[in-house]
Amino acid sequence: MAMTIPGSEHFSSRPIDPDVLAAGLPDSLPVHSVTQEQIDALDPLTYEVVRHRLWSVTDEMGEALKRMSGSPIVTDANDFDFAICDEVGQEVQVGLYNTMLAGAVDLAVYWTLQHRVRNPGVKEGDMFLCNDPWVGGGLHQNDVIVYQPIFHDGKLFAWTSAICHEPDLGGVGLGSFSPAAQDVFSEALPTPPIKVVRDFEIQDDVAEAWIRRSRVPLLVNLDLRAKVGANTVGRKRLHAVIDQYGADTVKAVMKRMMSDAEGRLRGKLRNLPDGSWSATGYQDQSHAGDRAVHQITVKMTKADDHLTFDFTGTDEQAGLINCTYAGLRGGVMLALMPMLANDIPWSAGGLMRCFDLISEEGTINNATFPAAVSRAPIGPAWSTGSLVAECLSQMMDRTVEFGDRVQAGCCGTHDTAVLAGLDQRGEVPTPFLNIVMDVMAAGYGGRPGADGMDTGGLFCIPMGRIPDVEMTEYLYPLMTLWRREEPDSGGPGRHRGGVSGSSAFIPYGTDLPVGLVVASSGKGVSQNTGLAGGYPGNTAVGVVARDAGVKRLLAEGTLPLRLAELAGSQDLQACYGETQVAPDDLLYLHWQGGGGYGDPLLREPELVAHDHAEGKVTSTGAEASYGVVLRDDAVDRTATEALRTRLREERRARSTADVAPGPSHAPSTGKRLDDNLVAVGVDGVEVVACAHCGRQLGDPRTDTVLTLARFEGPTSNAGSHVTDDPGQYVDDEIVFRQLCCPGCYTAIYSGVVPAAHPQHVIDLDRYVQA
Amino acid sequence: MAYVIGVDVGGTFTDAVLDDAAGTIVAAKAPSTPADYSQGVMDVLAVLAENLGEPLERMLAKTHHIAHGTTSSLNALVMGNVPPVGFITTRGHRDSIYIMNVEGRYLGSAPHQLQNVMGQDKRHVLIPKRHAVEVTERLDRDGTVVVALDEESVRSAVHSLLDQGIRSIAVSLLWSFKNAVHEQRIREIVGELDPEAFVALSSEVSPRIREYARNATTIMSAQIGPGLRDYLGRLESRLNDGGLGGPLLVMQSNGGAIAASEAPSTAISTVGSVLTGGVVGAVSLGEQLGHRNIISTDVGGTTFLVGLVVDGEPVRSSTTIINHHPINVPTLEVHAIGSGGGAIAWIDHGGNLQVGPRSAQSVPGPACYGAGGTEPTNTDANLVLGILPESGLLGGRKALDVEAARDAIRTRVAEPLGLSVEDAAAAIYAVQNAQTGDLLRKTVVETGHDPRNFVLYAFGGAGPASCAAYAAEVGVREVVVPLGPVASGFSAFGLAASDVVLAQELSDPGQMPVPAATAQGHFEELERRLGEALGRQGLTFERVEYARTIDLRYTAQLAEVTVGVPAGALTGADMVAVMDEFERKYAGLYGEGTGFSGAGIQSITLRVQATGALPFNPQLPKLGDADTPDPAEALAAVRRVCLDTVVGYVETPVYDYRLLRHGHVIHGPAVIEVPTTTVVVPPHMTGTVDHLGNLSIITRN
Repeated sequence: MAMTIPGSEHFSSRPIDPDVLAAGLPDSLPVHSVTQEQIDALDPLTYEVVRHRLWSVTDEMGEALKRMSGSPIVTDANDFDFAICDEVGQEVQVGLYNTMLAGAVDLAVYWTLQHRVRNPGVKEGDMFLCNDPWVGGGLHQNDVIVYQPIFHDGKLFAWTSAICHEPDLGGVGLGSFSPAAQDVFSEALPTPPIKVVRDFEIQDDVAEAWIRRSRVPLLVNLDLRAKVGANTVGRKRLHAVIDQYGADTVKAVMKRMMSDAEGRLRGKLRNLPDGSWSATGYQDQSHAGDRAVHQITVKMTKADDHLTFDFTGTDEQAGLINCTYAGLRGGVMLALMPMLANDIPWSAGGLMRCFDLISEEGTINNATFPAAVSRAPIGPAWSTGSLVAECLSQMMDRTVEFGDRVQAGCCGTHDTAVLAGLDQRGEVPTPFLNIVMDVMAAGYGGRPGADGMDTGGLFCIPMGRIPDVEMTEYLYPLMTLWRREEPDSGGPGRHRGGVSGSSAFIPYGTDLPVGLVVASSGKGVSQNTGLAGGYPGNTAVGVVARDAGVKRLLAEGTLPLRLAELAGSQDLQACYGETQVAPDDLLYLHWQGGGGYGDPLLREPELVAHDHAEGKVTSTGAEASYGVVLRDDAVDRTATEALRTRLREERRARSTADVAPGPSHAPSTGKRLDDNLVAVGVDGVEVVACAHCGRQLGDPRTDTVLTLARFEGPTSNAGSHVTDDPGQYVDDEIVFRQLCCPGCYTAIYSGVVPAAHPQHVIDLDRYVQA
Repeated sequence: MAYVIGVDVGGTFTDAVLDDAAGTIVAAKAPSTPADYSQGVMDVLAVLAENLGEPLERMLAKTHHIAHGTTSSLNALVMGNVPPVGFITTRGHRDSIYIMNVEGRYLGSAPHQLQNVMGQDKRHVLIPKRHAVEVTERLDRDGTVVVALDEESVRSAVHSLLDQGIRSIAVSLLWSFKNAVHEQRIREIVGELDPEAFVALSSEVSPRIREYARNATTIMSAQIGPGLRDYLGRLESRLNDGGLGGPLLVMQSNGGAIAASEAPSTAISTVGSVLTGGVVGAVSLGEQLGHRNIISTDVGGTTFLVGLVVDGEPVRSSTTIINHHPINVPTLEVHAIGSGGGAIAWIDHGGNLQVGPRSAQSVPGPACYGAGGTEPTNTDANLVLGILPESGLLGGRKALDVEAARDAIRTRVAEPLGLSVEDAAAAIYAVQNAQTGDLLRKTVVETGHDPRNFVLYAFGGAGPASCAAYAAEVGVREVVVPLGPVASGFSAFGLAASDVVLAQELSDPGQMPVPAATAQGHFEELERRLGEALGRQGLTFERVEYARTIDLRYTAQLAEVTVGVPAGALTGADMVAVMDEFERKYAGLYGEGTGFSGAGIQSITLRVQATGALPFNPQLPKLGDADTPDPAEALAAVRRVCLDTVVGYVETPVYDYRLLRHGHVIHGPAVIEVPTTTVVVPPHMTGTVDHLGNLSIITRN
């Protein structure tokens, strides 16, 4: 286990029983609460009226925050959130922005109530600021929470909070992101809760100590005021609600909102099959210079109305791809809320009662101090969410009722690029720092009933957006040569993964080199996994084209549209690195699309033709991935049928199948397991069979795993959208692995993974029990 | 004596209101005719002439102008019933309209849809990709030509569109609002290749920074432009054949009218016209009643629209959302906050009562309409509570089926909650009023105002039954229900009262304070263009007013705050004063101390609005005085009505509006039946009939 620094455990916040927390508070801090009888006595009418009122309070806070912030990461990327908590910090209502933050907010309040009440005190008119991801409130130091206790009649009644990602809070790297960081001391300083507002007034000494660390102190100051303003809006509105309905009623509604959300989620869980599902995912590289693959693994067990996520087996913390407990929990919430709580109010405090976390300290998604954690939300926490989503999808894919909640992997990260330099366009040259947001236009995963959304955004930020090209060019000395959707970047599948896009920038309005920090993943190993035989989406690519000659081309009247049209050399960017973009260089970023769902050879050919017309699939991709031949933009039925037969034959020829054919069953008599598998009753026992050809693939009385034809080969077999040379990024052997029904050669699993990747989908006990 | 006529073409009915500038107001109603809306307009004018007692030809000959609001363009966009449109843009940037800044996935969605990410999609693309083409050209942020327009690339792009049968083309290039020369040249080339093609340039339709919204705005304008041109041409010729003396004007989203001949070239500006008529009507009525701050609520069977009037001026917005796309149209801010009388009550998985947002629409409608609806709606609850009479509206011919309403509430709400049908109906009524109150409060508060300083106007068929209750929820003291001769055609009344309003804007992002001479140059150019445009309207104005505004923000904020700019020659001091005003306004919106000028203030878009005042100011006719405040002579019935869950059913007087006179005072609880609606005066509130026939309800002392 990684070394930890003695004394740092003081700052590790964990969920705590609210009754225990309240009982530990001194008499100097009286707390307002209500009894279960008061909660039970609420009539449905009052409940609904006050619940709606509280929703509108949260909503107003968010609107205020969003409009007041001056950080493009907030205003454009919507990387922020806000919450109302009860008196001990349980989340009553969270916003619809960065959903991972729901896993962190309450931890900061719990910690504050444990360590700030006696000194310096928690009083009316206070607001605390915190960016210590071990304490909570955010996932990495750039997430800064400002939160306030709200008092009624001298008693602590509730908390409101506002969190934004700040563009830079110091440290050795641009944007507080050092790709070489080995520990937190290279990053922005974590600040445990400090009182930034006292007696309703911003404390200039504290505020200035806070902004002093930043490369963009003016923006950080404006954002601080935005967060204070949003909390003020929340306090005033909440007081108005209390005045109208009475403190006890409002509190009873808050408590019941959480128990209602909990009850409804438990109700859903009861309607889902019990069992265990595992998933394993990767971070390729942990920091600049690293060439290893690091895994997060989870086993989700669903029993009755409860979920347990066991992350035992996850790799030790490394480089900067780590997150604290807040990130682990936030990662779970990023999948859980949109997938299972889509129609349940986001009273996150109630939802979080429905699961337990098991995790070893000192691992990449439960890192101990002083691990570097700047990559937390977009690295390990995100991966945690993607893996939880994979488990939830596989569980729900067995049902019809929850079929519309099933989704292959979405884009697995925010493909970070930070550009900073000198803007020489004005009379006075000024420094600039731009975190490129285009990369948020990522693809969603395919689903049993629908294609993944093309350039739909990031699954973890329901209301994200990217800035207009003109706004980027107005603010920064850059020119965007193109920003477009990239055909074939969506993972092939019966339902295609959503495509991603690419952007190309040149320095424009500066004759100095522009500093560049890149931080991404999913370049050598796929993170946007396919589901039920669907292929992964594209691997990400970052290139600095050196001496590209773009300005000469422009002067000649040419607008280049691809790297091949450029002069000079191409400098492929590792997952983590720091370099410069010289005045005649070009930066190209191609981020991740979504994974496909189901075998692409089963995709309706007309849909492929439509994809081709809409620029989502090239004719080459249509043939190679889907076996669809297009003539004059229309499907050539005969040629398509022949090609699809041939592609199945190729699968057969390249695969190894261990056993002779076993029994077959009529697939129509089976019960759905996923797109390709059914459970068929044989002699009072359920066996697994192919949903297409009926071939028996596993009998729990004799087998522990499915018997499938297996192929493992170079990643180029996955399609041209996946890197054909993972060795450019990592030393581990990375392969395209495909598992097919040995009868009809329909793909059951298609992945781009390390050769050592455990094969969870063949575990028989996730489908049937003896 | 000259007439002004307002004609409001709605989805179901076309309303008309005529004013003779001498105290006479006549209204008429006819079914809308979606196949060709101009037929419905001619029909309603015939009814109007009949109601006026004049032959149609004579009425039209005496008409100074007709102000026309139409939902047809908006409907065409929402239903996708538009001709194919080509899109020409800068090479490398075609996909802006497909990427939609990601936000096109969710913009304009209701809260429950926002939360359901997996229920969202991007299928509402503006046009298929084969209709979007790129040309070689590039400008930078200063409008400097970086790559000259390659005319061969334009010709081949235009040919590819024309070959696909496209006759309407939207052109939107990067940074064209700084330099329109490339867009203008493309129009010339299109003209050479197809002189009949309709062309919309983004530098004319929406010269504003942020290309996605500008592209979408230009495309939508090109989608509705040809249809609007054909429709207005058809209508104008029918009216001219009928002897219309004055011009035909079309209402715009900005609350003012524009000559029909001028409308198609910036067609998108007319898209919200049907929504804004009510707000303009509220302004006009407010002038007569002395109300400067008004919350205007228009509640129909399927929509609940809210507009605001602050200090006598409607609150404006520079952007709206259509089909999930952001559209740059200066508009009166009208929020759709609920589902009106048809909102369905239901029990969620947690056993909680919810009302809306789903609506029973006009088909099948509420259960009590007996048209196949089985889900309980607000209207059903109102019927069970006794607020609505079983005989239906006074002016209607159709009785309501109270048993169907009770069945729907019993099975879907009462039994699951373990309540009586009556209590369940009362709960629906209360939840609906409280939620409406929340959304109203949010709408008002987010513009930086306190709802307690407002008077609320309630019109539309479904509003008056609840308005006093939801007004009290937000702390509004006085509610006015316009009930005079234009009660059912309040939007048409607003149209007749409207002036010609034209707006021009242009983005020139810069650091404040921008040099006064730069700003002055921009404003003078905008005013010059507006002066020319006013001259093309074919009208004589009593006076012309120009109002300058500028959108400012702190550094890189997404949202801008619009601030007024003085007329005349600007000085450096004026620009500083504008910054100060921005900081004041910002602090008012978000709280003292939330602004931070150290971060720098940027100017984004400059705008001038020209108002050409027309010589009409329709006044509602006066109502006769009552002999006594006691309205006993208007008492039509007494029936059991429940307005409060705690008190339950109470014997409640029901008055016939037609017999009420100025000065009658009605103490709640009471119900007033009007031919077009039903008004509730809740317990402990008092209603007074004013001199114009409106009912004014005071919610508290």
